[in-house]
Amino acid sequence: MSTFSDAYRSVSQFHENEKLAGWLARQRIVVWLTPARRRSILFFGAIAVGVAALFQLRKHSAVSTWLEPSLAMLSLVGLAYLLYLAAANFSRLPAAVRRRPQMALHALFWLLVALAWIAPPEAGIWRTVVILVAVSMPYLIWRYGYMLISGQRGKAAGTSFRDHLIYIWPTWGGTNTPIGKGADYLSQCEAKSADAYARSVLAGTKLLILSAIWEGAKFLIGALVFSYPKSPLKPLLGDYGLGIPRMRRILIGEVSAPLPIVWLSLYLEMILETVDIAARGHRWIGILRLFGFNAFRNTYKPLLAVSVVDFWNRYYYYFKELLVEFFFFPTYVRYFRTRPKLRIFAAVFAAAFLGNMYHHVLRADKILVAGEWAQLWARLNPRLVYCVLLALGIYVSMLRQQKKRGRAATAETEATRLRKAIRIAGVWTFFSIIYIWDLKGNMTISTRFGFFLSLFGL
Amino acid sequence: MSRQQHREELIKFLRSIQRRDSAIKEVDDSQSLVESGLIDSLAALQIVSYLEEAYKIDFGDNAIDPGDLRTVGTILDIIERVTTS
Repeated sequence: MSTFSDAYRSVSQFHENEKLAGWLARQRIVVWLTPARRRSILFFGAIAVGVAALFQLRKHSAVSTWLEPSLAMLSLVGLAYLLYLAAANFSRLPAAVRRRPQMALHALFWLLVALAWIAPPEAGIWRTVVILVAVSMPYLIWRYGYMLISGQRGKAAGTSFRDHLIYIWPTWGGTNTPIGKGADYLSQCEAKSADAYARSVLAGTKLLILSAIWEGAKFLIGALVFSYPKSPLKPLLGDYGLGIPRMRRILIGEVSAPLPIVWLSLYLEMILETVDIAARGHRWIGILRLFGFNAFRNTYKPLLAVSVVDFWNRYYYYFKELLVEFFFFPTYVRYFRTRPKLRIFAAVFAAAFLGNMYHHVLRADKILVAGEWAQLWARLNPRLVYCVLLALGIYVSMLRQQKKRGRAATAETEATRLRKAIRIAGVWTFFSIIYIWDLKGNMTISTRFGFFLSLFGL
Repeated sequence: MSRQQHREELIKFLRSIQRRDSAIKEVDDSQSLVESGLIDSLAALQIVSYLEEAYKIDFGDNAIDPGDLRTVGTILDIIERVTTS
């Protein structure tokens, strides 16, 4: 048995194999790819991503010629450069901006949005440029934000514009959430020697393999569990799929199912979401590691988390980090310092509720810039409930975790294992239930609340 | 107080917030506290509170880099910066 587990470990942990890392570190390509060369590749990659973004802007309904998206891209690069100068010369900025650089950045964004709302159609090309810059900003604003944080911490002074461009239009991909954060974090985890680079490449390869495995798992869950009619496995499986209905279909009343199946669908939805984010996150971080930035995984075994806060920390690490750095810590270090519980409560709500909601308002970029309030409200109002519940869950979980810290662990027994399993089940249940209010679709809060009550036969 | 004395005080504090399943015995100054599993990321809050109380550090004045709280060495650097300024 131990031979089997040793063999499994040596295969699954191949990235920690000293001999393999040593061999790889001696390979010409690894030696040749110095940190400067890797950064150069990422710089050209950033330009390519920027050009791809230009093509995306060309598709916007307000655009009629190439001139408009070209001017918009130039404005965005120009803004990035100005913000880089601001970060590099942070101490010379006006005191108000120095105190609240993120507020200043977001004020600039909202000014652009307001301009897009009020600009008359006669403004022609300039109106279109403002619209394009405004719809592009939500992708860039947190990245710009990390650049300003770097300046605020006094770490941007010795950096070049290229060091920042690589994460503003990242070659490794991602969403509005900056995967790998900004220059400070990337520098911290950058491999400086061939040996460290070889380890980073192995760790990245492992994540890319895991990403492919999770993509395969998604495919199998779709075919075997949800019996997707369009699955390529359908002819092979015939009617042998389990045919569990997706939660959305139950929620809108398209199908009805016995209560145990509804609960099963609820848990499966959460599992599928987790597998999906793991697959995508492993791909992004895997590529980043291939470039020598041995960054933290985006997802790390969240389904084994024993507390709500632990799950939140492991599920989508870089989104959590964004909320922590832009909302949690600034609130924590500024307010209610003499009242510990209120201090944590305020910081948690600033991050998990306010920051989370705000981030999702910005994600609705096109709707927001078009000023379609009814659509924005319909899309986001259930999320208010989700964010309140998430914040409450995290707050309570943090207090419980704090009480336990510092105590010696008890020896593992059957009883402790059972308790751990119960705690994991509790975390699954919490996140599955709050997901009811995060599920995409136009279902109202009351429809979702009705579904929640129906889970308990009410 | 010397860096060594600050270090002893800090280790004593870290033991009081260590994870239940991972005891802090010997810790290298450059070892990542979170990555090595000695404390969890939320313990960073308690480190902030500790530094505020023990050394009157005002993190509200500057952007806090949670990365600066990742090792004993970097925390000691913060303490030194404040106590010598």
